[in-house]
Amino acid sequence: MGMEKLSYDLKSEEALSVLTDVFSQAITGELIGMSNFASMAGAIDDPHEKMEAVEHADSERQHAEGFMAHAEKLGLKVKVNLEGEYWGRVRNIFLSYAAKKDFIACLAIQEVMLEAFAVSMYTDVGKALDNEAGKMFLSIAEEEKEHMEHSTEFLRDELHKDKDKFLKKFEQLHNDCMTILAEFSLTSDCTDSCGVCHGNCMKSSLPIVGLDVGSMRGNALSLYARALDHIGIPGEQSIKWIANLPV
Amino acid sequence: MENEAHIDFAVIGHQDNWPSVQSIINGMRSGENEPLTVAQIKGTFSYIPPRSIFKMTAKSKTGKTVNGVYIETFIDPDELTPHFLRKNINKVNEAISVALKHKSKIIALGGFTSIVLEGNLSQFDTSSSKITTGNTLTSAYILKGVTDAILKLNKRLQDCNVLIIGATGDIGSACTHYLSSKVKGLLLNARNGRKLEAFAQQFTDTSAEIKWNTRLEELIPMADIIICVASSASIEIKDYKKQVVICDAGYPKNLDTKIEEGNGTFVFHGGMGTVNYGYDFKPDYREHFYNYPRPHIAHGCILEAVVLAFEGKYENFSSGKGNIKTESIDKIHELSVKHGVELAPFYNSKGLCEISLPKSSKG
Ligand SMILES: NC(=O)c1ccc[n+]([C@@H]2O[C@H](COP(=O)([O-])OP(=O)(O)OC[C@H]3O[C@@H](n4cnc5c(N)ncnc54)[C@H](OP(=O)(O)O)[C@@H]3O)[C@@H](O)[C@H]2O)c1
Ligand SMILES: [Fe+2]
Ligand SMILES: [Fe+2]
Repeated sequence: MGMEKLSYDLKSEEALSVLTDVFSQAITGELIGMSNFASMAGAIDDPHEKMEAVEHADSERQHAEGFMAHAEKLGLKVKVNLEGEYWGRVRNIFLSYAAKKDFIACLAIQEVMLEAFAVSMYTDVGKALDNEAGKMFLSIAEEEKEHMEHSTEFLRDELHKDKDKFLKKFEQLHNDCMTILAEFSLTSDCTDSCGVCHGNCMKSSLPIVGLDVGSMRGNALSLYARALDHIGIPGEQSIKWIANLPV
Repeated sequence: MENEAHIDFAVIGHQDNWPSVQSIINGMRSGENEPLTVAQIKGTFSYIPPRSIFKMTAKSKTGKTVNGVYIETFIDPDELTPHFLRKNINKVNEAISVALKHKSKIIALGGFTSIVLEGNLSQFDTSSSKITTGNTLTSAYILKGVTDAILKLNKRLQDCNVLIIGATGDIGSACTHYLSSKVKGLLLNARNGRKLEAFAQQFTDTSAEIKWNTRLEELIPMADIIICVASSASIEIKDYKKQVVICDAGYPKNLDTKIEEGNGTFVFHGGMGTVNYGYDFKPDYREHFYNYPRPHIAHGCILEAVVLAFEGKYENFSSGKGNIKTESIDKIHELSVKHGVELAPFYNSKGLCEISLPKSSKG
């Protein structure tokens, strides 16, 4: 392992350019999460759930701040854009459910779908970067895992109340949100700009820092599938949903 | 809410080629989504954690119904080699946990998954769920198949020389033991010469005349029956007797594509059975990947779990390597027939096949 990592010069100009985009995506994602929880706090009536949503929003804010501070230390000029092609669409889908005060839908989108991608990708980045930045990605991945676990219990209870209804609903949410994340993580470079990367699409340059978009996408879908398993969604259901995602 | 059926048996399996993976995945895609190419599927397939992809129901002649679940391991068909053993073992282990979550009482390790485990069950807790390789019923169907074929040719087993390719393996050794008192000669083949010799030495006192050789071409010309139970795509069958009966039971089953048929040579896919009273899948993807010429056909290893479930006989029926007893082969076959689970009709990659008497011996 150590041998392999030595071959990446993380201080080269190309590597720093890729890292800029990696940080920009992470910060944008955290701010989307923060905004989503903030919107949820507004939408929920139950005072305890309201307070919890605020607390969550704050934890995502801290993640964003952590990433921002670290990027600054490395001298990276990050770009934040909550309205880019993919992040903007995800945010709008989320808001449409928040407006309906659909707490379950909000949880599923933010804490299962978005979080599965965050945990998996942070873990991959963290393992690839054998430095302080890598450690930071790994420790934030750990905290995001807790968010996922917390929602799993809640969603499992929901599933048990009325399985058919829950599965129908989840399928809709999957189609709404995972389709966007699957497009976002396609292995081909984005044809239109995602609005976050600072130059050309970073995907094909990821190998410069020891990453590759194919395995990152695979790992993210794998973690998503496991999250669905933990909720209690039958395998024959989840495999069908995943098989229908854009490739 | 739909009432969830309890699960009696689980089948753990894998695909051994990309076209069959492609058919299954495209079978799952809905009409409005374009079918995917193999290249598109390869990128993600093996990342998917093992999971149940459909449920099964089998009906016995006795009227009993049992429910099963098929758990796909998502092992990469290009990684079915020793180099990926660790990774594959992890996948099989995960698939077993999925089966345990379903509370299935018996688990069949289909195809390569039993080879991956080398039949070593010590690492699993089999107190609530039993595990079987299914190799005993597979052996039974192989043996029943060649016996039936020989009868149809008006020949007697005791006049035949039987070549077993993969003789030192689990199924191969089961067949060797079984036939050792029933045939004229046994011709044993495998690649590892030392193992082969040590194995063959056990049979020097039996009624059958024993020959063994790592060079297959030395044995083929003497064989009246060939049972192939080796996992190899590169087995070559040359200089065979005109009226040889070939039971292709290894993976991949490709011998019929390499042999000229019609000269009295008969090649069939062996180790296969059929559930005569009904075998249904939900969701039913069979039109996308079912490659058999008749409905309700399945591998003997899977059907062993089905038969054990019909019987309520939950035990690690086939485990380890080289442990299959002749009595167990007869026993599981008897139970199988009792439940209307029988040898599949003869077929090969061209479809159903009839065995016909050579012209000279007719009338
Ligand atoms: N119903 C069915 O159709 C069904 C059900 C279950 C299993 N199977 C298949 O049956 C086959 C045997 O299973 P098993 O559990 O008995 O496997 P196994 O214990 O691993 O035995 C394989 C045997 O084949 C020999 N072998 C491998 N490559 C060979 C080659 N190129 N030429 C000659 N011999 C070769 C091995 O010995 P050396 O390594 O010394 O050569 C060994 O004797 C497998 O392909 C399995 O997938 C079929
Ligand atoms: Fe976060
Ligand atoms: Fe989070």
